Amino acid sequence: MSLEQFKNRNVGTQNYKTLDLDHTPVTGMGQFKQVVSRTFKPELFVGLWVTFREMINALFRGKMHTTQYPFEKLPISPRYRAIHDMLRLLESGHYRCIGCGLCEKICISNCITMDTQYDENQRKEVSEYTINFGRCIFCGYCAEVCPELAIVHGPRYETASEQRASFSLFEDMLTPIDQLNLQQEYQGFGAISPNADENIKKTPLAY
Amino acid sequence: MSEVQTVENMVSITIDGVDYKAKEGEYILNAARANDIFIPAICYLTRCSPTLACRLCLVEADGKQVYSCNAKVKEGMEITVSTPDILAERRAMMEVYDVNHPLQCGVCDQSGECELQNYTLELGVDSQSYTIQDTKREATNWSSVLHYDPGLCIVCERCTTVCKDMIGDAAIKTTKRGGEALDKAWKDEMPKDAYAMWNKLQKSVIAPSNGTEHTNCSDCGECVAVCPVGALVSRDFVYTSNAWDLKKIPATCAHCSSGCQIYYETKPASIEDRTEKIFRVTNEWNYVSLCGAGRFGYDFENRTATKDATTFAAAVKAFKKAKVINFNSVITNEEALMLQTLKEKLGVKLINREARAFQRFLGFYSEASGQSLYSLDFKEVMATDFVMSVGSSLRNDNPNARYAFNNVQKLNKGAGLYFHPVGDTLVPTFGKNIEMFAHKVGHEEAALLFIIKLFADQDKLPSSVKEQLDSDFVELLGGDTAKFEKSFEKMMKKKESFSLMVGEDLYFHEKAENLAKLIAVLEASSEVKVAMIPPKTNSLGVALICDLDDEAEGYTIGYNESGDFKLSALGDGDLDMPAMNQQEGTLTNMHKRVTPTNAALEYNGYVLNDIVREVASAPKETIMWTEHLPVSKGFKAVEFDSLPNHYTNDGVEHRGYLLESTSVEVEEISVDKFDDSNALEGEIAYRCNPQRQFNDFSDKAHQIFEGFGLYTSPAKAEALSSKVEVEFANGKLTLDVIVDERMEGDIVAIPDFKSAENIYELFAGSRYQTVTIKEV
Amino acid sequence: MDATHLPEVTAAGVIIKAVLILAVIAAIAGFGTYIERKILAFMQRRYGPQHVGPYGLLQLVADGIKLFTKEDIIPQHANKIIFAVAPVITAATAFIALAAVPVFPDFTIPFIDVYVPSIASDINIGILFVLGMMAAGLYGPLLAGMAQANKWGIIGSARTAIQFLSYEVVTGLSILAPIMMVGSLSFVDFNDYQADGTWLVVYQPVAFILFLIAGFAETNRTPFDLLEHEAEIISGYVTEYSGMRWGLFFIGEYANMITIGVIASVVFLGGYNDFWIFPGWLMIIGKIAFSFFFMLWVRAAWPHVRPDQLMWLCWKVLMPLAVVNVVITGIVIMLVQ
Ligand code: SF4
Ligand code: SF4
Ligand code: SF4
Ligand code: SF4
Ligand code: SF4
Ligand code: FES
Repeated sequence: MSLEQFKNRNVGTQNYKTLDLDHTPVTGMGQFKQVVSRTFKPELFVGLWVTFREMINALFRGKMHTTQYPFEKLPISPRYRAIHDMLRLLESGHYRCIGCGLCEKICISNCITMDTQYDENQRKEVSEYTINFGRCIFCGYCAEVCPELAIVHGPRYETASEQRASFSLFEDMLTPIDQLNLQQEYQGFGAISPNADENIKKTPLAY
Repeated sequence: MSEVQTVENMVSITIDGVDYKAKEGEYILNAARANDIFIPAICYLTRCSPTLACRLCLVEADGKQVYSCNAKVKEGMEITVSTPDILAERRAMMEVYDVNHPLQCGVCDQSGECELQNYTLELGVDSQSYTIQDTKREATNWSSVLHYDPGLCIVCERCTTVCKDMIGDAAIKTTKRGGEALDKAWKDEMPKDAYAMWNKLQKSVIAPSNGTEHTNCSDCGECVAVCPVGALVSRDFVYTSNAWDLKKIPATCAHCSSGCQIYYETKPASIEDRTEKIFRVTNEWNYVSLCGAGRFGYDFENRTATKDATTFAAAVKAFKKAKVINFNSVITNEEALMLQTLKEKLGVKLINREARAFQRFLGFYSEASGQSLYSLDFKEVMATDFVMSVGSSLRNDNPNARYAFNNVQKLNKGAGLYFHPVGDTLVPTFGKNIEMFAHKVGHEEAALLFIIKLFADQDKLPSSVKEQLDSDFVELLGGDTAKFEKSFEKMMKKKESFSLMVGEDLYFHEKAENLAKLIAVLEASSEVKVAMIPPKTNSLGVALICDLDDEAEGYTIGYNESGDFKLSALGDGDLDMPAMNQQEGTLTNMHKRVTPTNAALEYNGYVLNDIVREVASAPKETIMWTEHLPVSKGFKAVEFDSLPNHYTNDGVEHRGYLLESTSVEVEEISVDKFDDSNALEGEIAYRCNPQRQFNDFSDKAHQIFEGFGLYTSPAKAEALSSKVEVEFANGKLTLDVIVDERMEGDIVAIPDFKSAENIYELFAGSRYQTVTIKEV
Repeated sequence: MDATHLPEVTAAGVIIKAVLILAVIAAIAGFGTYIERKILAFMQRRYGPQHVGPYGLLQLVADGIKLFTKEDIIPQHANKIIFAVAPVITAATAFIALAAVPVFPDFTIPFIDVYVPSIASDINIGILFVLGMMAAGLYGPLLAGMAQANKWGIIGSARTAIQFLSYEVVTGLSILAPIMMVGSLSFVDFNDYQADGTWLVVYQPVAFILFLIAGFAETNRTPFDLLEHEAEIISGYVTEYSGMRWGLFFIGEYANMITIGVIASVVFLGGYNDFWIFPGWLMIIGKIAFSFFFMLWVRAAWPHVRPDQLMWLCWKVLMPLAVVNVVITGIVIMLVQ
């Protein structure tokens, strides 16, 4: 499904079909007529035909609907909120997180913790970062608040594991440096809105 | 606050059409704050002089625009906080502050409590109209604790102001930035004050005032506390935590007798280690100023303690057979009361050298003056305009006494007299009207007599004093009579209130009784009021609560001191005790105030109360002793949990309660004759700690670097090798020689902060001793 | 086929036949679950079981192992004996009913020369016996529901009682008309009656439809599976059953489905007579298979009815129709004779 469809929130213009339902008969004669018509209408056979036709479609026309899940996966919506990813800067490969702690602050279930320190380049270094996935409710607030789009929800929805801790450390979530070229820009919760440019004022610069 | 708010000294003003009362002569800003009215202001610090750096506090008073931090209220004054013009000014100022301010709130340590952030939002700055080329400004470390990032600095001058007006070091100043000059065109385009502010801002940054890259100051960290932005941060704290993650625990600093209000700010140490750790100490910097030990010496907790029943049983056994308990003043009132209870029930003797000396001195003073406590607290000292100090090494003994001495000079256009055998280069720089007397050791009585001579009403003096006043004290105390007379005349101009601070030298003086009497005489016959500096943290509390003994023998329990069985909050004794940041209780500080402190860190071992419960009887919790502190000594029977610990907007201190002091009529005092031949001669050692060291606990903290050694003036150090042996009458020490740039003269200082070194024994009940210094 | 031409029916033959029926039908019942899941899946464009064995064929083995090895739980407050006996009643009656039904054509086992008849017991009131046995099967769910001390079970048994009893009437009446025409209650006679190639359904279309509908109700199949309608009453009379006991109910249900298929084939659809080039045994298997498939098909296509609709249908539509059909058949027979 393309992003455009997700962004189109104007559900009012969708094409709904209204069912043409009869009114429940109230007179005896009306009820009798309904019984007769229902008895002799071939509606039941329509039903039989539909299921039979679908079986033919499935078996012989390749219209089987099943996704063979563990072997085949459907693409998920960019709005989906699964296990977090920590992204890197594409240019330098440095992690994007600046250690501002906003995610830690906003987290509704208090499950983000981080250690920061002053590094040799006089920058704030995130020495460790962890999310307690036993408590995370995947609300997406952290992704939304992050000023750097550093923490985002990734597509890893298979969260069953012997230990949730096995994907909750900084290195586990960080884009592997050798897969930097595969890193996707996040489109979901907290991403820059399409009209962001219209909403900001420009700062004059002397140079 | 010292002044009583009577109807006479209050004036009526209106702010935005509402009537308020304000103290006469108060700045509009303070009057507004006292009445809970908000006026934007950045550069003003309550107890310092206005600098007019930010100009944000602009208000309209009686139709004229004035700076509210600098304009005093007048009867009937009509004040408008915001007019359209002022709003335009303020907005322009905030825009100017934001010009080239790095967009790094995300990492900045001040984010969340940053005044630049707050005012930018408050004034709704959502666009920028001004621009100028930025100047490269590199972050530097000024000292072992100070980290300055000029990129973030808004040159509000709060740091320089507090350093000069409060701390007295004046170690930092504004200096040239070397930035692009402002385009003159702005002058016509933008509001006037904003332009003026920008013009100055664009030209300056802050730098150490000694012209080097390093401050060489007392490393108090007060500049860090007052900095409204993230420009000044302590090196240890940079980038380690966000303000909002820290839990503030209101407490009382346990290092010296100032008993400053502090917050221990804690959070779990790291991801692996979830135990709470103190990340920094903050304070209500508008109303209280810390010293370096208070601000940086916080991690002295006893981490290793566990509840080990065997050692506890051994402790109980030791207490049962104990004859003596040897302790010091780093102890809460509650614990002191427990020890006193043990004395009453088990008959043990209580030994606490510094508190005992102070207790005796206070006793002599009370006897002579009829007052149970000394007259002034140190806030009141700060409000006087002539301050004197006798018997205390002002720079080292007690930061608040020193701040008071300095603040009087700076804010009250005051004058000061400083009497001390150890010369000091810093004190005279506090103000223009300071005379320093580096008198001989043993001439303290002469100093007091001299003060009596200067200030007392001759008719009120007892004859035993009057007859001693004929000598030329200036000469005797090492000054130049003619010069002094001239300067004293200047000093006395427009002076109304006088204060005298006395210190530990007098308590450990062999003529202590006579000195105390002289003080009583001075108070009775002049306008000079006296404040005493209790020697150590809770010496005043211990002196009031415990019935201390002078000498004792037998099986000794040492509490943070040596003994046959040792209780120690340092983790090196037989049974662990909680350190001050791990326990609740009250401390009695030099402001005669009983202040509560709270536990910032967890403690897993036994406390004194557990032992007292076993060997005598005790309530369930330590803090249940609070309400039983002796009312006869001025304490109040109030529960610990009802004690407040905060300041209100008008600067009133709501911390615990003030001790009641009582006074009775006394008969005429008769003093001994002063004998000027008693002066100590030869090589003299002085028992005195370096600036940020007070006890084993400050020493344990990782940000306090001052070592245990022989402190000397630079000149004296020349004559000594780097390591020396100091021989006392009853022992000797081998010490490294450490130069204290601000000491003068030949007297050397030996610290007492390490209790294991038994320095008190070596000095044998005095603060000065003749010693032999040998090279090793 | 003339009975006199056949070898003698020995006890050994009957026993072999009985074992055969038991084994084959039980296996088919199991296999039926696989077929059902596959067919339903296809009709919903899914795959159904496909990972255990080729095409998921061994799924039923896996399920069997699971059923056998599952813990046998009897609820604390259940009537333990009845709780244990009820599934056996269902399975037993289903298989007993099959005793009087011709399942395969007869054959002789070579070498030992034992003749295995097509019907384990060709009693001449076969139809009555089968219907009676199936009706007796109602005790299974009824007792099961009441014994398990569970309110959903109770509701399940109440529904059993009304549904089975009501539709028993329709089954009986609908099949009465063909019986009148054939004049016998023996399945063999029915078969022979249609040996000329004209199926009874041609004469009795109404009876056939009524019988089918009632058959769905009797076997507790969608759209009439109200006894254990999981959307309303958890699992009705089998709520508390697990493991092999639950498996017995299942086998009973599938055996009944086959029985109904057999009756419908023999009574209305020409039995095991040869047809064109197809031999009789193939024809009967084909017919039974189709009726089985039809039941699944219906399940895939049609929704449940409500209990009141079910009763309404029974007493106000089907029963009168059946009576009218019997009367008309009677009149026609009278007139023809
Ligand atoms: S998704 Fe929500 S709960 Fe989970 S870490 Fe982010 S903010 Fe916390
Ligand atoms: S909000 Fe983003 S940049 Fe800030 S600490 Fe969290 S992940 Fe890092
Ligand atoms: S000083 Fe204040 S405004 Fe500047 S980066 Fe730090 S928090 Fe932000
Ligand atoms: S360092 Fe801080 S306090 Fe000092 S001038 Fe700069 S902003 Fe003001
Ligand atoms: S640490 Fe204290 S003495 Fe040093 S510059 Fe700062 S305020 Fe001044
Ligand atoms: S607060 Fe008054 S000028 Fe800054």
